[in-house]
Amino acid sequence: MLPPFELSQPTTLPEALSALAAGDGQPYAGGTILVPDLRGGREKCRRFISLAGLEELRFIGHDDEGTTLGACTTIADIAKDPEMAIAAPALAAAADVFAGAMVRSVATIGGNICCGSPSADMVPALLTLGAEVTLSNSEGKRKIPLSAFYADYKKSVLKPGELLTAVSWKPLRQSASHLFFKLARRKGDAITVTGVSVMMAANDGKCSKVRIALGSVAPTVFRASQAEDMLRGRALTAELIEKAAKAAADQCSPIDDSRASAAYRLQTAQALVRRQLTQAWHQASSV
Amino acid sequence: MTEIDTSPHAIVNENLRQVGKNKPRNDAPTKVYGRAVYAGDFHMDGMLYAKVLHSDRACANIRGIDTLAAKALGGVHAVLTSQDLPANNAVMTDLPGQVGGGTKDTKQPILAGDRVRFHGEPIALVAAESYELAQQALELIVVDYEDTEGVFDAFEAQEPDAANVYGDDNIVAAYKIRKGDIDKGFAEADYVLENTFSSQYQEQAFLEPEAAVAWIDEHDILNIRSSTQVVEHFRAVADALGMPHNKVHLQAPYVGGGFGGKEVMTIEVWLALLAMATQRPVKLVQTRENSFISHGPRHPFTFTHKTGISKSGKITAMKITVTSDAGAYAKLSPYILLYATVGATGPYRVDNLWVDSTSAATNNLPTCAYRGFGTMQANTACEAQMEELAKLIGMDSLELRRQNFIKTGDPNTTGQIIRSAVWSDQCATQALDALGERPDNTDTLLYGHGLACYQQSYGRIRWMKDTSESWVGLEVDGTAIVRCSVTDIGAGQMSALAQIAGEVLGIPMSEVTVYFGDGHMNPLGGTSTASRALYMTGKATELAAKNVRNNLLQCMAKHFDVSPGELDLGESKVFVIDDPGRSMSIKDMVKHCASLGVHRHSLEIYRAPPSEGLDPETGQGEVFPDFTYGAHAASVSVDVDTGEVTVIKSVGAHDVGQAINLRAVEGQIEGSALMGQGFALSEELILEKGVLTNGSFSEYLIPTSEDVPDIQSIVLESRSGLGPFGSKGIGEPVFAPVAASIVNAVADAIGTRIHHLPLTPEKVLAAMTAKKAAAEE
Repeated sequence: MLPPFELSQPTTLPEALSALAAGDGQPYAGGTILVPDLRGGREKCRRFISLAGLEELRFIGHDDEGTTLGACTTIADIAKDPEMAIAAPALAAAADVFAGAMVRSVATIGGNICCGSPSADMVPALLTLGAEVTLSNSEGKRKIPLSAFYADYKKSVLKPGELLTAVSWKPLRQSASHLFFKLARRKGDAITVTGVSVMMAANDGKCSKVRIALGSVAPTVFRASQAEDMLRGRALTAELIEKAAKAAADQCSPIDDSRASAAYRLQTAQALVRRQLTQAWHQASSV
Repeated sequence: MTEIDTSPHAIVNENLRQVGKNKPRNDAPTKVYGRAVYAGDFHMDGMLYAKVLHSDRACANIRGIDTLAAKALGGVHAVLTSQDLPANNAVMTDLPGQVGGGTKDTKQPILAGDRVRFHGEPIALVAAESYELAQQALELIVVDYEDTEGVFDAFEAQEPDAANVYGDDNIVAAYKIRKGDIDKGFAEADYVLENTFSSQYQEQAFLEPEAAVAWIDEHDILNIRSSTQVVEHFRAVADALGMPHNKVHLQAPYVGGGFGGKEVMTIEVWLALLAMATQRPVKLVQTRENSFISHGPRHPFTFTHKTGISKSGKITAMKITVTSDAGAYAKLSPYILLYATVGATGPYRVDNLWVDSTSAATNNLPTCAYRGFGTMQANTACEAQMEELAKLIGMDSLELRRQNFIKTGDPNTTGQIIRSAVWSDQCATQALDALGERPDNTDTLLYGHGLACYQQSYGRIRWMKDTSESWVGLEVDGTAIVRCSVTDIGAGQMSALAQIAGEVLGIPMSEVTVYFGDGHMNPLGGTSTASRALYMTGKATELAAKNVRNNLLQCMAKHFDVSPGELDLGESKVFVIDDPGRSMSIKDMVKHCASLGVHRHSLEIYRAPPSEGLDPETGQGEVFPDFTYGAHAASVSVDVDTGEVTVIKSVGAHDVGQAINLRAVEGQIEGSALMGQGFALSEELILEKGVLTNGSFSEYLIPTSEDVPDIQSIVLESRSGLGPFGSKGIGEPVFAPVAASIVNAVADAIGTRIHHLPLTPEKVLAAMTAKKAAAEE
């Protein structure tokens, strides 16, 4: 049962930001994390600001500069967007396997980024896009790389009074491969055990660009930068890919929980990075 | 997609007009359009709302309960603890129904007194003006616990120094079977194989959690309208409250799923107590979180199989030990253990047999009835052993099964002679064929095919002397009424009775109204459990409808000047079979008969075949009325890097005796395909020192719509069952082989077997990794 709580329901962004500045409570959008946490007694806050009325934050914009998603864009909006499969194939794939249909229709991209969960399924694909997030407050806004957004488990660099209002990225190179794989204990509506996204572009038989991001295997979703460094500028071989996969696994710091052991997460992180890199190299280098 | 086998074995003894056909169920429109009223939908003026304080720990002494603050809260009308209850503070959880009377003590405190024995044990009840107030009151109750040592393992519970939970020795029940000569059997074997298999807790996960409203009416009758499988629980409620049986009226509206979880009482007594204490209507709908700890999940079982087998594939001996974890109270554990004991050999004839089975009490969740009722777990172990035996002797596993299938006329585990058709071979062959060719393995995916057969009883244990009553009447406008207290738990129980009565009386099922689920206004039909509802209430309804038919045909024979046997009822007419032009509408027929005072209704009772129990030393005797046989086959792929299992195709092939409603049969096969898939792959309640840690649908993983494979139903009809028109029970039987077929398919894919369910990706990957390591050594 939901405990009693206070709720403000702004209808414009300035209203929302001033409510936030006034300390009117914690913002939420779809509520797909908040409501179960409130019911389960895990959420102690009792004052909330609903972002559900902010239609201005629900948009998908594609142009030559790249793609921008308003923070209140739902996961279903992303899954249904006809251009997403080209603008960000891994993000479109992640949206398709994100939770279940009911959750997808209300959960938002901003909420998924801000919840800070290591199993947030949209984040690995955004990290491999090199996405930036726009953080706004009543004074103005700033843009930072998503890779600099997380400080620790469920902690971000958002300042008091700041709201994540958009996420954007530059266009993928046309020949680039962009992949996401979600490993979970069932196909629908399951929390990710190991999530891997890879972006790769090739030029002249060499890997010219690579980003690797892993979810659910560390306190935050993170970029496997050591593995990336090993591959950039090289022609990839099975041996090199295996070494990079090992390096990516070495950068993981998973825990045991009821869904899987740390050992299983490590083993599958390495296997999935290897598999994704192999597939990405195959796609990117054959164009 | 469904195929019907009209095999030459079928005895086509009925010209059926609607039975066996694809008919929309009578309850379909009201459910599809959202008009059906469930227990939680009722509202009454002046109604209060209840909440239950469940223990948050598994074993502790209660030094005191302070309810002062809760009672003082405005809007709170009652706060009850064990101190406020009738002196015996006990409710029976024995098998419900007409006779009861198990051999073991199945009393359970209504509210914990000085001790809690499991996580979720109810401690206090609150009734208030709103759920919110009731919740606030709950939070004001202070329980002074003193944690005590517990026992959390069914084997440890049997050790002499184990913490005491139940009786003197924690043994809730034990059985043995001694048949033939086990030593001789093993001496004759060319090979002996021993394996241990175990399975986990499974949650019923019905759509509708426990829900009920209780009130006292103007005649001082205590009424309870509850989501239950068993309206006969009015007796247990009355006994618990010290009231006469006829002063408690229990009704079940449509039930949103039971699967055994609403077979023993759930929340009825709590609401009865609160209604008595407040003299107001009181309602409770359990939250999902509390539902997880409010009924008994499926028992974890461990089976050790030692099997002797000849080179030619004949089983010469089986020695099986069976252990189940009963949790903190007996509930139905003794009976579930009996089912597992009888079912230990699956659908096979074993002449030299030794079985020892034990159910032990622990401080884990009390386990109880769940579709399959012990037989399913036993069958899953047996079918794993059969595959391993086939591998050992290098024989095709279906061929090995064929060598050993029990046949009509054979004695089963307890020496009971099988009377009905046994079409295990036909079902297995068709199910496997339907899988098609196995795809070639790829770099990342391994493919496997799996098969499992089964023997599952339908109908209750024979010494329960089960009966069912039903009343059928024809109105003067030619419509019919059936009155039977059967609970409709979603499988089409109500609609099936309409179809049966309509068939016998020659009118469409849509013109039959069924009054159901009310144990005082209708004749008692008995429980919707044990795959007995269709068998028993259907049979009683068939008998009653035939009485009505016979009365009318005798009257009409005079009218047409023929013998009654020359008349038939069909297409809403009575007609002369050899001269169909001579006919009269049913409506006119009923009017005519009514004007002559012909009896147009009948109350009938159907009695299941009885027996007097088992020989305690040999375990020989007749336990069940009859059995259903069939098979399930599954094809899977396994991801070599992650261990993820994908079920590709799932095929159930069953001899259902006679389908009553083909769509309903299909519904049972499809639902069971998913329930069995969940059991095989992902469902598991996880307890830490008895405390449930994953009691939510985000962590307890039933298959979702995205996990649904291609499911195919193959329905065979031997018309050899005890039910109406030769039908057999199917609710549990179609579920019995599903998990085993998937487990066998995974073993086929990865070339090694995992002995403890469920087959999570992690376990599958570990098994593949271990196999690879062993191969490299």
